[in-house]
Amino acid sequence: MRRYVAKRVAHAAVVIYIVATIVFFAVRAIPGDPARVLLGGDASAEAIAALREDMGLTEPLYVQYFRWVSRIFQGDLGTSVFSDQSVLQMLMGVAEPTLSIAGLGMVIALLIAIPAGITSAVKRYQWEDYVATGVSFLGISMPGFWIGIVLLMVFADQLGVVPAFGYVSFRQGIIPWLEHIALPALAVGLPYGGILMRMTRSSMMEVLNEDYMRTARAKGLNGRLILFKHGLQNALIPIVTIAGILLGVLLGGVVAVEIVFGIQGLGRLLIASIERRDFPVIQGAVIVISFVFVFMNLFVDIMYTSINPRIKYGGGD
Amino acid sequence: MSSSLPPNANAQQESNATASPTDGGDDPLLVVEDLHTTFSTDRGEVPAVDGVSFAIEEGEVFGVVGESGSGKSVTALSLLGLADGARVEADRVSFRDEDLLAKDERGLRAIRGNDISMIFQDPMSSLNPVMTVGEQIAEVVRHHNDIGESRSLFAELRRKYVTGTSESSASWERAVELLETVGIPDPGDRAHEYPHQLSGGMKQRVMIAQALAGDPDLIIADEPTTALDVTIEAQILNELLDLRDEFGVSIMLITHDLAVVRETCDRVAVMYAGELMETADAGTLFDDPRHPYTRGLINSIPRTDDDREWLDAIEGNVPDPTAKPSGCPFSDRCGAAFSLCGEPLVGYPAGKSGHRTWCHLYNDAVSRDGDEIDHVDEMKAKQHIEEYAAAADGVPYRPDFGSEYA
Repeated sequence: MRRYVAKRVAHAAVVIYIVATIVFFAVRAIPGDPARVLLGGDASAEAIAALREDMGLTEPLYVQYFRWVSRIFQGDLGTSVFSDQSVLQMLMGVAEPTLSIAGLGMVIALLIAIPAGITSAVKRYQWEDYVATGVSFLGISMPGFWIGIVLLMVFADQLGVVPAFGYVSFRQGIIPWLEHIALPALAVGLPYGGILMRMTRSSMMEVLNEDYMRTARAKGLNGRLILFKHGLQNALIPIVTIAGILLGVLLGGVVAVEIVFGIQGLGRLLIASIERRDFPVIQGAVIVISFVFVFMNLFVDIMYTSINPRIKYGGGD
Repeated sequence: MSSSLPPNANAQQESNATASPTDGGDDPLLVVEDLHTTFSTDRGEVPAVDGVSFAIEEGEVFGVVGESGSGKSVTALSLLGLADGARVEADRVSFRDEDLLAKDERGLRAIRGNDISMIFQDPMSSLNPVMTVGEQIAEVVRHHNDIGESRSLFAELRRKYVTGTSESSASWERAVELLETVGIPDPGDRAHEYPHQLSGGMKQRVMIAQALAGDPDLIIADEPTTALDVTIEAQILNELLDLRDEFGVSIMLITHDLAVVRETCDRVAVMYAGELMETADAGTLFDDPRHPYTRGLINSIPRTDDDREWLDAIEGNVPDPTAKPSGCPFSDRCGAAFSLCGEPLVGYPAGKSGHRTWCHLYNDAVSRDGDEIDHVDEMKAKQHIEEYAAAADGVPYRPDFGSEYA
C-alpha cells in the first residue's frame, strides 16, 4: 500500500509538471504580451520593448522555460508581472474562498444526490422517482453560474436572507462564513449533484438486480437492512470513482460562480490574470488547480480500497 | 400472493385426488397444490408455472428436473414470495401446518432462511462481494435465533462499518462452526475472507453453510452445481446428502442434469413448459420412464457404453410460454402425439405408488402397442379425463408417494 501511494505521488508530480509545461508554452502562444497590457494602448514601441527586456521576455523561450522550472523546484512560483506580489502569496490569499465553495458544494451535492438516487432506484417509475430525476435533470441542464444568478435574485435580493456578494473567512465566524458561501456552493453543487444522482440511481438499480440481493432476501432479512447493509456499499463503488473524475467539472463551475457572487477567489484571479497576460500568476493558478485535482483523485483511489475489498493496491507492483 | 382457483385448475388438481389414500404416515413437510405463477409482460401473460402440484417429505431429496425455462426455479421462488413481479396463485402451499400463501412479507421473512432456505446457482454472484463470508453467515444466525445480539439497522451498520463482527460473539462462533461443518479448512481464518478470495467450490460451501445457519427444515438448492467443475460438483452434492443424513433436512434439488438426479434424489418431478410431465421415485424414473418427454431426456444423456453415433436429441424447442399448445405443452415436439393431446392434461397413475404420468397415452381408453396407437375410444377417453378432473374436487389431499421413504 505504501509503495502504491509513493508510486502514485510520483505519478501525480509528473502529471502536474506536464500540465505546467503545457500552460507555460500555451500562455506565451496567446497573442498580446504583458508589457503592452501594463503600459496601455498609448505606450510607445520603445517603452514596450524596454519593459519586455526588463521582464526577460526577449530571451529565447527555452531559456525562459528552464529558468522558470529551476525556480519552481526551489518553491518559487515567481512574482506577478502586474502587481509585483509573490504569486504564492496571491494564490494563498484566494485559495480559501475557492476551496470553501468547492468543498461545501461537494458536500451539498453528495447529501442530495445519494439519498435521492437511492430513493429513485427503490421507487423506480413511481412519483418519487419522477420528482428526483426531474430535479436532477434541471440541475444538469442549468449551468452553475445561471443557477447562481437565480439564487441571488431569490434569496439575496427578494428574501434578503443571505448576503449577495463577497466572502468572509471562517476565521471570522462559521455562521457568516456559511452565509456567504451557501449560495455559491449550492450553485456549483446542484449540477454536480444532478449528475451524481443519476449515477447513483443507475448504480443502485443495477445492484438491486444482483443475485446477492436476492440471496439477502432469501435469508429473511428486512428490506431496509438489505438496502443499506447489502446494497449501498456496492452501489457506491462506481459513484466514488465518478465523483473524483467529476471534480474537474466542479472546479470549473467555481470559476464562473465566483464572478457572479463577486468573490475574490482562485477562478477570478485566473481569469483576470489571463486578461492581463500575467504569465506567472496563470501558471501558478493552473499548477494549484491541477494539484488539487490530481491529489483528490489519488485520495479517491485510496478510499476505493476501503469500500471495495476486491481491490488491493501494492503487492507485486 | 393470493389464493384463488384459476379456471383450468381442475385438470392439474387431479394429481392429488387420484391418489388412493396410502399409509404415508405423517403429513409431508411441504405441500404444493396447483401452483400458478404468472408474469405480465408487454407480450402478454406468461404462465411460468402452470398448475404444478407436489409434496416433499421430511428428510427426502426431491428433484425437480427440466430444461431451462421449464419453470423449475420460478416454482421455488414462488414458494418463498421471491418471484418478483409475478402473480402467484395456488390451491394450497403449506409448510408443516402453515399456509405460506396467507403470509404477508413479514411472515414470509420469518420463514425465509429460518425454515426454508435457498442455495443459488452461481456462488460467484450470489454472495455479497463486500462482506466477509463469516458475517454473511453470522447475520443469518443473528436474525433467526434469539441470541441476544441486536439486529437493528443501526446495530448492523455499526457492526459492519465500525466495530466489525466480534470474534467472540455467538453468531460469529456459530458461523465458524458452520464453515467447519461444510468442510472448509481453517474456518476461523476463512471466515474473515471475502468471497473473491475463495474458489468456486468453497463459495458454494459458504452458501450451504449460510443456508444451514437458520436450522432450516427444507433447503431449496437451485442448480447448486451448474457453475462448478465436475469434480467439485460431486463434492458439493455429497456434502448436501451428508447434511440430509446428519440433520434430517429435506432438500428440493432443482437441476437440468438427469445424472445429478440419478445420483442424489429420492423422488423426481419432471417439468416442461411450467407443467409437470412425470413424477416418480428416482429409480423408477430411470428404469421405467413413461412420458415420451422423460424418455427423450434419458435417451439424450451420453453414456460411456454408447455405440450410438448420434445422441437422440429431442427435436424442436420449448414453446413460447405466451403461446403454448392447448392440452399437453409437449405435443408439438412429441413423436407419439395423437388425437387426444389437445385435451386438458391429467396425471395418470402408473404401476408403482407415486409414479404418475401427465400423458394421454396412459388413458384407459387408449389401446396401443408401445407408442403406436391401435385404437382410441374418443368418447370414453374424454369421459375418463373428466372423471379424473372431477375427482379432484372435495377429496382431501393425501400424498400418495414417498411412503417408502417416510
